[in-house]
Amino acid sequence: MTGAKWIMNFPVTATSHSLADYRARGGYETLQKVLTSMKPDDVTKEVTASGLLGHGGAAFPVGRKWAVIKPNDGQPHHLCANADEGEPGTFKDRWVLEHAPHLLLESMLITSYAIGCRHSFVYIRGEFDLPYRRLQAAADEAYEAGYFGERIFGTDFSCDVFVYRGAGSYVCGEASGLLTSIEGKKGYPRNRPPRLTVKGLYQRPTVVNNVETLANITGIVARGAETFRKMGTAKSPGTQLVSISGHVNKPGVYEVEYGYPLAKFIYEDCGGMLGGNKLKALIPGGISTKVLTGDDVAPLTYDHASFDGAGSSLGSGGMIAIADGTCMVRLLQVMLRFYHHESCGQCTPCREGMGWMHRIIDRIVAGKGVPEDIERLIAISNANDGTTICGMGDAAGYATVGFIAKFRDEFEYWIEHKRSKVGGALEVQGTWHA
Amino acid sequence: MSQIVSRLTPYFEQLKKRLPAGFNSSLVLPCLRRIQEERGFVADEDITALVTYLGVPRMQVEQVLSYYTQFRRKPIGRWHLQVCHNVTCSMRGAEHALDLLQKRLHIKSGQTTTDGRFTLSTVECLGSCGTAPVVMVNDTYHESMTGMKLDALLESLK
Amino acid sequence: MPDFFINGQPVHAERDQTVMQAALAAGFFIPYFCWHPNLSVAGNCRICVVEVEDPKGGNWVEIACNMPVSEGMRVLTDSDQVRERRKETLQMILLNHPVDCGICDKAGECTLQDYHYQYYGARSVSLDAKVHATKFHPLSERVVLDNERCILCSRCVRFTNEVSKTHSLGIQLRGDHSLVRASEDGAFASDPYSDNVIDICPVGALLSKNFLYKSRVWYLKATPSVCPGCERGCNVDVWHRKPEWKLNALDPKQNSAIARVTPRENAQVNGPWICNKGRDLAQIFERPRAEQSMLKGKAVELAAAVDAARRLIEGAKKPVALVSSWASNEEFAAFQRALGERLVSFVKADWLPQPGERVEDDVLIKADKNPNTRRARELFGPALPAFTAETDLVLVWGEGCNFAELPRGVKVIYLNSYLAPENGHADVFIPISVQTERAGSYTNFAGTVSSFSACFAKKPAVAHAQELFARLATQSKVVA
Repeated sequence: MTGAKWIMNFPVTATSHSLADYRARGGYETLQKVLTSMKPDDVTKEVTASGLLGHGGAAFPVGRKWAVIKPNDGQPHHLCANADEGEPGTFKDRWVLEHAPHLLLESMLITSYAIGCRHSFVYIRGEFDLPYRRLQAAADEAYEAGYFGERIFGTDFSCDVFVYRGAGSYVCGEASGLLTSIEGKKGYPRNRPPRLTVKGLYQRPTVVNNVETLANITGIVARGAETFRKMGTAKSPGTQLVSISGHVNKPGVYEVEYGYPLAKFIYEDCGGMLGGNKLKALIPGGISTKVLTGDDVAPLTYDHASFDGAGSSLGSGGMIAIADGTCMVRLLQVMLRFYHHESCGQCTPCREGMGWMHRIIDRIVAGKGVPEDIERLIAISNANDGTTICGMGDAAGYATVGFIAKFRDEFEYWIEHKRSKVGGALEVQGTWHA
Repeated sequence: MSQIVSRLTPYFEQLKKRLPAGFNSSLVLPCLRRIQEERGFVADEDITALVTYLGVPRMQVEQVLSYYTQFRRKPIGRWHLQVCHNVTCSMRGAEHALDLLQKRLHIKSGQTTTDGRFTLSTVECLGSCGTAPVVMVNDTYHESMTGMKLDALLESLK
Repeated sequence: MPDFFINGQPVHAERDQTVMQAALAAGFFIPYFCWHPNLSVAGNCRICVVEVEDPKGGNWVEIACNMPVSEGMRVLTDSDQVRERRKETLQMILLNHPVDCGICDKAGECTLQDYHYQYYGARSVSLDAKVHATKFHPLSERVVLDNERCILCSRCVRFTNEVSKTHSLGIQLRGDHSLVRASEDGAFASDPYSDNVIDICPVGALLSKNFLYKSRVWYLKATPSVCPGCERGCNVDVWHRKPEWKLNALDPKQNSAIARVTPRENAQVNGPWICNKGRDLAQIFERPRAEQSMLKGKAVELAAAVDAARRLIEGAKKPVALVSSWASNEEFAAFQRALGERLVSFVKADWLPQPGERVEDDVLIKADKNPNTRRARELFGPALPAFTAETDLVLVWGEGCNFAELPRGVKVIYLNSYLAPENGHADVFIPISVQTERAGSYTNFAGTVSSFSACFAKKPAVAHAQELFARLATQSKVVA
């Protein structure tokens, strides 16, 4: 009961992802309306008016991104749907790919029309095999039905989609790394300027939007920006697909209307903590957002302003609920290992900094930490803040600084006593079943 | 000359048709994935043949193969067991899952059983945190794993 | 009217210039590792950060190499923030960098050393062991790579992609395990421009096998010269022992040897590059030298040989000269003055392309493997050497003459720098100096003149051709 539903508004069955079921829900009628009665600019205006913010983690106004693309500039334009979903704790785009692939495809067609894109792409992480097969099957169905290809609905609009599979790299979820990967190379992110909407895929103007962001488009164009704005808050209109996992009773993907009380979400809708445990900490939006304590969580509502005010961020909506008894030092160790593993290696602060932080925390956990290690972790985090080619360096820094800020005592304890303050477990009693 | 690349050329041609002109370079990842599906890994002769077919620099293909974790240039066991050990999976027993598999298979993470049946490794977040802990077997996610389910899984993998 | 401001000073920028380009052009220095004026922008080292003032407050810091100049922007290249960031960046670059300076060839010309002393200077603050990697990995027979020293600036990779276009270098793996490697098909080994990556490597990661451990660079002097390998005439620096470091205890050959050859930037001719042949000039100039004048193989004093040559020229009815296309403009002028009217002269191609050598490309290499063909032809005409039945004397100047093709019975005066069997067959043989023993200039294929200076002194028994010709001149005119 987490507020209004814009995307997860149908029951999931064995066939609900099929074209037939999607059509029964009104599928592709909006596309027809768009192609036969709207100008591309009308679509962009509607999306801008809706105030839709990106759902990949940066919360950039979607209409504003599209508007950078100049129509009739003599260049091909491209749309790429970001289905890389590598942010730990996040699995909501997967829901769309598996259960609402046609919603994504129809939205992509509408978006392609708006920005003048003839060839669109979905970049899907290589590990997502079932979601890939669902999406590819849906694309095949859509081609069969004439929704992709030449002269769609008998209009001048033609469009193709190519589902491009990644092969194991977190930074390919970064928009410019994603495009470089589609170009057949290592997923190295790029410096800006130029923005991708000016020079993107093969140096052509390109829009990269998150899967969930795109999934909102069809509804906005079908039912209007005003209707969309009725949901959520003034600064955060609409809903968020929240992936919640960790030590809660009912992990999963929930569509949460912005403004919904966070405590209610965790303790009621998600069934509260396993075994009635206390919520010790909450990673709010993927591990790259600053961790909140259980007390921080109590007064918050699920929207951008509320989380910004708490010094954190909604991020990618990947929530991880951490129960009392979990060792925060070991948790940060897992995260720093992850960032170290995923650093592409291009730029100095991240390439060297991730390895450095990982080695420091490994040393702390091995009982060889010294007090200055904590300041060093903070210094390395600061050295990565705003100085790197992409946001991964910053992200690792935010995660680290957040953990130390809220749970410094655990780090100091381990350094002094050469063991965890709370026993050293990551899974609390009852989570692993033998 | 790579027999596999020759055999797959019609499939590659189909892929080419679905991409706009000038996107030959983009074919590197999909072609490598397809080759690896056939052979189990990408051989040196596959690289040579693919480079000729696509007209891309050889170094581009070599770099791609080394950069992405899913590509390999050597064969592995018939069943690749990848245990996610990222945040939520660790919070829901990934260490126990890995321990159990290491014990049952008598290998450590990173190794292959002597009969070539299993390769065991750890992996970062697979985007399935809601059903942690997760073990990926070849292309398939095995979710909400428990000790019993792992034993049953091993039984089922011939 | 200024375009923008650096440290409060007005600076003009061209359209589409970055802050880095405009700053350097205006004489402001911004440190850089990965940026290079002749390569694309990578923007990965992060050392070139500058501070940009925001009138609304909250200045921001960003790399200058990728920052477009905007009208009126106010840039600070040395503010407190910039200095802090530089320190952090150097700290990171040095984190895993081995302190090899004591045994590293690059010491003395190492950008990292220079910046460390200039901008940081402190010890490492890391308590953890450095990450190790391959040391002295052979990228080819000529270029060796120390991955621990490598700072992954990617200049070498961009060079093979954008300049030599062999795409033969790349970065494997990722993160701090990244390794520069050559492609497995050997393309880097057959890249005739491969050694340029040694120059552009900002640290001692990419090193020349030929130069490895030969000398500390501060013992060496760089003398401007011109590569004679083809008619491009790339400008080079020939490095050799400084006069004050010519140690008596040292093997005298080392005091007068070419230690290495590097490009000397000339925007009109070769940019900052040369091909590998230019690196190997020692293989040309240090071949066994002719030092003994001879008359039909019999050793004589230089003066006696000069005398004999003059008498031969005096007495000849139809003397012909085969002029060296390796001679300098100044040598041609002296020859023209002294003997131009006396001898019928043809230009000789001293060198032809060797087997396995790249003949021509659209980077630098030209098919004519001689440095001064153009000037030679201007003076002596384009005709190929031709003899008549009446030819009775041939003056052969320089290498490349097939003596079997000379008319039977002609007298031969041979001027050559190197030991060769033909030296002993000539009626008169006079050993002459090589390029590194004199000053002069060449005119390249496009008409651009480049000068070279002397690196070494010639031996007394060897003649400078330029001085020789006046002494060979006679009063006799050409016989009609």
